[in-house]
Amino acid sequence: MELVFLLICGGMAVISSLLVIFARSTLHSALWMVLSFFMVAIIYVLLHAEFLAMLQVIVYAGAIMMFVVYAIMMLNLRQERDAKVSVRVSKVVGVAALVVLFLELLLVGLGHSLTAMQGPITDSLVATHGRVAVISNFLFADYLLPFEVVSILLTAGVVGAVVLAKRVK
Amino acid sequence: MIENQSIYLALSVVLFIIGAAGAVCRRNAIVVFMCIEIMLGGVGIAFVTFSRANQSLDGIFMVLFIMAVAAAEAAVGLAIFVLMYRKHGTIDLDKFNLLKW
Repeated sequence: MELVFLLICGGMAVISSLLVIFARSTLHSALWMVLSFFMVAIIYVLLHAEFLAMLQVIVYAGAIMMFVVYAIMMLNLRQERDAKVSVRVSKVVGVAALVVLFLELLLVGLGHSLTAMQGPITDSLVATHGRVAVISNFLFADYLLPFEVVSILLTAGVVGAVVLAKRVK
Repeated sequence: MIENQSIYLALSVVLFIIGAAGAVCRRNAIVVFMCIEIMLGGVGIAFVTFSRANQSLDGIFMVLFIMAVAAAEAAVGLAIFVLMYRKHGTIDLDKFNLLKW
């Protein structure tokens, strides 16, 4: 059953990601991107990371895609729609390098059985405490410093966006 | 090892490569930005897979922080696109070579 869901959602994630690249209109790309984010969220659920799946839908499919759609609305990209694809040496080299990288990653990721030390988060611990409680216990104890650094980063990002987009007099 | 681990990892590699290929080939800055988000999604699947396989939460926190960085990146990046459009009337990346020497 899990395998069936995985294959359906994984296939749809791959297809919608391809359509992001091949769609002619930028807005269509953005809408396929939303579908791709939803499929990744379902895959997080299959991996028992429900909290992340929720965040994926709220942050990516909600907030970030809203940013993108607003930007598309403000930029009036109609002229770009008919732009021809330019073939350049650098792009051919880039795609060739990507094919090599693809084969390497598949070889390393699937060719070997990757093992590591087992951590303390067993299924029985999650079953007794609840997953969000376990995550928050770790987030606000072991990961407190990165958490605060990220909040500073987000503040800096928002201030930077306002400064950049402000009209210079 | 968990069930279907190799399928999850293969999916993550495929998504990463699709995103990278789009970032190399497309010229529209917003589409390139979305392709980078696809790459981050693929990386996230790999992190969560290993996190699950090793009964650890570290991978989940990595994805959490990746999401926060991606949100900051979206805010600043799209502001830069608006600025580029205002200055040059286009966001075609082939027309921008300010850093080329």
